Amino acid sequence: MQEYDIKGMTEKVLALKGLAAELKEISGGIPSIDRNVERILSSLRLLELQIVDIKEMLN
Amino acid sequence: MDEQKYWNPIIETLPREKLQQLQFKKFKRIFRWAYEHSKFYKGFYRDAGIEPGDIKSFEDVHKVPKIEKSMMRDIQGEGKEPYPFGEILCVPTEELTCFRQTSGTTGQPVYWGDTWQDWDWGVETYAQILWAQGYRSSDRFFLPFGYNIFIAFWTAHYAAEKLGCEVIPGGVLNTEARILKMQELKATAMAATPSYVLNMASVAKNKLGIDPAKDLYIEKITVAGEPGGSIPASRKRMEDAWGAKVYDQAGSTELGHWGFECDCQSGLHVNEAFFLFEIEDIDTGEAITEPGKKGRMVATPLDRMALPCIRFDSKDIVQWNKDECECGRTFRRLDGGIIGRTDDITKVKGVLFAPSAVEEVVRGIQQLGDEYQIIVSRKGDTDSILLKVEVMPGCENNLDEIKGNLSSQLRLKTNLNYNIEFEGYGSLPRFEGKSKRFQDLRKKQGDGKR
Repeated sequence: MQEYDIKGMTEKVLALKGLAAELKEISGGIPSIDRNVERILSSLRLLELQIVDIKEMLN
Repeated sequence: MDEQKYWNPIIETLPREKLQQLQFKKFKRIFRWAYEHSKFYKGFYRDAGIEPGDIKSFEDVHKVPKIEKSMMRDIQGEGKEPYPFGEILCVPTEELTCFRQTSGTTGQPVYWGDTWQDWDWGVETYAQILWAQGYRSSDRFFLPFGYNIFIAFWTAHYAAEKLGCEVIPGGVLNTEARILKMQELKATAMAATPSYVLNMASVAKNKLGIDPAKDLYIEKITVAGEPGGSIPASRKRMEDAWGAKVYDQAGSTELGHWGFECDCQSGLHVNEAFFLFEIEDIDTGEAITEPGKKGRMVATPLDRMALPCIRFDSKDIVQWNKDECECGRTFRRLDGGIIGRTDDITKVKGVLFAPSAVEEVVRGIQQLGDEYQIIVSRKGDTDSILLKVEVMPGCENNLDEIKGNLSSQLRLKTNLNYNIEFEGYGSLPRFEGKSKRFQDLRKKQGDGKR
């Protein structure tokens, strides 16, 4: 299997997840921000399942 | 950069031992989640004397009691809270973003709710399927199904969009209009049930004078909802009629899209990164790990959280393939796809009978049309099988020869004799969604012996 930078990708996914959560925290409850952040988090969840979970398992 | 062969090479080519570790880790996670968030699961598992801490090895998974569709029907419906899903639901209903229900082919439909995250997860699994079957952003993908409360090809629509395909929703158009639209827009791919793929080809030729293989632009077809995609004679008919590659895909409302053929077309891969699969002996429930031995499939979607479906008895009869696929994926394959359903496989005259075996024979005889009907009944103590088939136009003078050939092949393939009735071409029912070609009248006749 080709080598992929799973560790690097994991760090970026988790950083994005943190950023999305921070954005929601300061959204002031604006629906368009909150709902779009929810969508972003769903996409990030898919990346977690396909990268972060693998990285944890390979450790 | 070279064309990427896999949607996600990291998980699709994961060494098997790592894949199993991943599955086990995820199983423990979904089991704990369901135990802690669903009143139904908590009670169900408490009654069985099992809790999350008891799952310490892969072998412990088999101790977890199975669920099946009939149980879900009991959990749901009028008076069951949260309505209509009942106590199996693990999230507040406010978090659900879409509703679907099962087709009701085997009884009262099961209601299904997904959060956006769960829906997105299903779309991701389907994106992996389409990519493996060669779909790319250059495809113009036609979806000829009724966009309604059944899951059908909804997920394919979203997944194809995710791949960047141009998706054409052929919803409320009738069959003729769909064919003409496919021609007008030069659609390159489509997805439908095997029955409808054949029916569309027939309508194109006989009503519109269009030969799909020559006059349309379809290069690949994904089929689902029936076993036809993995029945060689049915696949050949579809590929010949359309001049396109046909790929099988398997899934259900409860489980999601768990199986797919890759471009090698050599058996259904099971997506072992997102699901856990077990095959059990139909009678004893013992785990079957060796290839070539048929059993019922028990599956668990590992990341679907709102309505977890843990160790779901799919009623599908399957068997493991022994070889690795040339595609390089480490996901195992099922030999022959879904061979049958425990609902359909029954004893006739003491012989185990699977309707899909009849399809393989009927569609292998060129003088016969695509459609057929099987009716099993009992008179006194004797079972009989009536098989209705259509004769292709121009073959009406060869009925004796066709009947002899059909009878002998059926006898060879199923070890049973049939009463054969020839019907005029186009007279048997056509199907757009899941077909219903098998009737066992013995149940209605009050004889439960099967």
